[in-house]
Amino acid sequence: MKNYPLWKIIVVFILLGLGITFAIPSLLYKEDTGSWYLDNRLNLGLDLQGGSYLLLEVQTDVLIKEEFENFSDTVRVISRENRVKINNIEKQKDVLKVRFDSSEKLNTIREEFLKNYRSVTFSITNNIASISIDEIYKKSIQDGAIKQSLEIVRKRIDESGTKEPLIQRSGRDRILLQLPGVKDPERIKDLLGKTAKLNFHMVDDDDTKSLSLNIAPFGRMIVSDISKEEIKYLLEKKSRVGGENLIDAYASFDPTEGHAVSFRFDTTGAQKFGKATSENIGKRFAVVLDGVVITAPVINSAITGGSGIITGNFTSQEATDLAVLLRAGALPAPLEIVEERSVGPGLGADSIAAGQIASIIGMILVCIFMVLIYGSFGLIANISLIANLFIIIALLGTIGATLTLPGIAGIVLTIGMAVDANVLIFERIKEENAKNTKVYETIKKGFDRALSTILDANITTLIASLLLFIFGSGPIKGFSITLSLGVIASMFTALMLTNLLVHFYISFTSKKEINL
Amino acid sequence: MFGLNKLIPVNSDYKFLNYRKNFYIASGFAILLSLVLLFFKGLNLGIDFKGGTLIEVSTQNTNIGELRDILSPNFNEVSLQEFGDENTIIIRLQNENNQESIETVNKVKQLINDKVQEFRRSEFVGPTISSELLWKGFQAVSFALFAILIYIWLRFEWQFGFGAVVALTHDVLFTLGVLSILNVEFSLSTIAAVLTIAGYSINDTVVIFDRVRENLRKYKKLELLDLFNLSINNTLSRTVMTSITTLLALLSLYIFGGEVIKPFALTMIIGVLIGTYSSIFIAVPTLLVFKFRPQEEDES
Repeated sequence: MKNYPLWKIIVVFILLGLGITFAIPSLLYKEDTGSWYLDNRLNLGLDLQGGSYLLLEVQTDVLIKEEFENFSDTVRVISRENRVKINNIEKQKDVLKVRFDSSEKLNTIREEFLKNYRSVTFSITNNIASISIDEIYKKSIQDGAIKQSLEIVRKRIDESGTKEPLIQRSGRDRILLQLPGVKDPERIKDLLGKTAKLNFHMVDDDDTKSLSLNIAPFGRMIVSDISKEEIKYLLEKKSRVGGENLIDAYASFDPTEGHAVSFRFDTTGAQKFGKATSENIGKRFAVVLDGVVITAPVINSAITGGSGIITGNFTSQEATDLAVLLRAGALPAPLEIVEERSVGPGLGADSIAAGQIASIIGMILVCIFMVLIYGSFGLIANISLIANLFIIIALLGTIGATLTLPGIAGIVLTIGMAVDANVLIFERIKEENAKNTKVYETIKKGFDRALSTILDANITTLIASLLLFIFGSGPIKGFSITLSLGVIASMFTALMLTNLLVHFYISFTSKKEINL
Repeated sequence: MFGLNKLIPVNSDYKFLNYRKNFYIASGFAILLSLVLLFFKGLNLGIDFKGGTLIEVSTQNTNIGELRDILSPNFNEVSLQEFGDENTIIIRLQNENNQESIETVNKVKQLINDKVQEFRRSEFVGPTISSELLWKGFQAVSFALFAILIYIWLRFEWQFGFGAVVALTHDVLFTLGVLSILNVEFSLSTIAAVLTIAGYSINDTVVIFDRVRENLRKYKKLELLDLFNLSINNTLSRTVMTSITTLLALLSLYIFGGEVIKPFALTMIIGVLIGTYSSIFIAVPTLLVFKFRPQEEDES
């Protein structure tokens, strides 16, 4: 050991010390303790601790369609004011074609229309107006909708009592959710699947003819009842007051009607609601949620206090969930679940146990094999292998990586592959040994010759692993992280630790020749 | 120590390359068969790439037949399969669109709720996502092959890069062929396994190439065929050792790692075997196509 550089010994021991120190929290502790050191733990992925992964897509097409419906309504109103007749309105792809009776006054209509909508193209050829929007306008609608959706999804998830959710935008129009520990993913999906657009409309009970023909006149709409689709109502299209004016909603119980949702309006909402009810005593108003009528009671007296109650044969859970939805607010556009992966706690625990057993047995098998083949040198390789595992776990813990089931597979695979660098070195030493040089020289040559091979071989594995990280999703990323860290750690342990231990061994036993 | 260290002698002298024609034929046949299988039988695509719904349940006091009788009349395409033991059952369903999935899962849960001890997992992959995942997987594998080619080209001569990629393509196709025969479920983690195999196989190949390069400098007069044989023999014990330790770890993963990881472990085991074979019998012989020593050719 005389000529072994001291700095190398120090570096090896420092790195080893750090490895063991920072592996301990992950190995021994399962819960947060509040100490910065002990909380440097591996996070368990959803597939190991149980929970739900959801990918939602914001249906922005619906918004674009709605925008065009608004255009069409606005044009109708303006042309009616200007006494110009519209022959027909046709929606083509991204363009609304309005054919007027004559080409008179079209410029006036155009000007008035553009007062309502900026950055919309309104061009006139003869008696046809073409209203279109550009990509930037579309994108701003979509972006707005996704930002708003993110906020509302966050509110709904928080209200549902899920702890430590991860909610983030993913790509152009998707929202990614990770909900650890969720036991009833169906309920969460129900909560997210509802747009929760609440509006109060007056019911038109006088015009029975339109209702029986099932054709809504201008300014009216026909909406079905929630309980039975055949029951239909003719409603004013314009709502008197909407969910955006709600400031609170909570589940309550009405002695005669059962489970219900109580709500309270803000000042504006209270005024609107008060005005609508006082003007329409004796008539009915309808509570419309996501395009169906929940209830349509008769107004007995003006409701000016700004609070009310919605009833409608709810179960307790339904009432609670409706209250959650109303409190969080309506989504700007419907959400669709495009991917779901939910794992129950039982499977997660089983996976962890199986992973542990597989790692331990794999480790024992490899260790036994190494000793059988390389004897004392095998033992040295085994010490390096164990150190390697500590370092991987320490690295995963300190960078806050998430351990997934494929990640465990990566660790087990690393156990098998990490001895490779040692094997390369030992085989080289074996070859050099055959040439009958001095012991230390043999070892030095063995390590030196193996170095470039080890680097080349491991860098190619790192390349494959990096690409997995770039293209892989969720759990696969976990696999590529453990594999990469394993490869890097194995290079360090083989070139530094094994080297040091081999020198220790030779000088301690004062061997004159190597028995490999 | 136990005499096992002489398992493969230091100076082994197997004439691997002298039989290369046999291996070409064998591999060529295997690749052809794999392509035919992939084309006509295809892979057993999991829901990651096919889309659909998967529910894993642990049951009590029932059997797969009874559950099948309950579910079959209610759904068009439903398949049940025991998963590891007879009390754990996987239910697979196809649904046309995203909205349908939520209803499907709810309906399944209602129908079999009293027979089930625990709903262990449910997965749904929509049609747009599954095609995206397939495309991404394809990209990952192609880019990996390409990046490895570039790296080998930079570190060695381009001929080595060619040999490596021939061997890699061989490994990937051959492995996929075996997966097709064995009907192993092809999922995201299988793609990860295939990429890892690529990494492993190239690792193996590089170690031998490294020795070829060294020997090319060392033995200027040696015939290429003998030189390649020598290089393979030089590295043979390492090749075998590393394959065995890796296989030991993978075997442990396959047997004890749980049902979910089994296809991954199996794919890796197949791949490691094929990768080890190809490094010796495909990658190195490919180098014979190229004349590394033009001056030598002139002399003779």
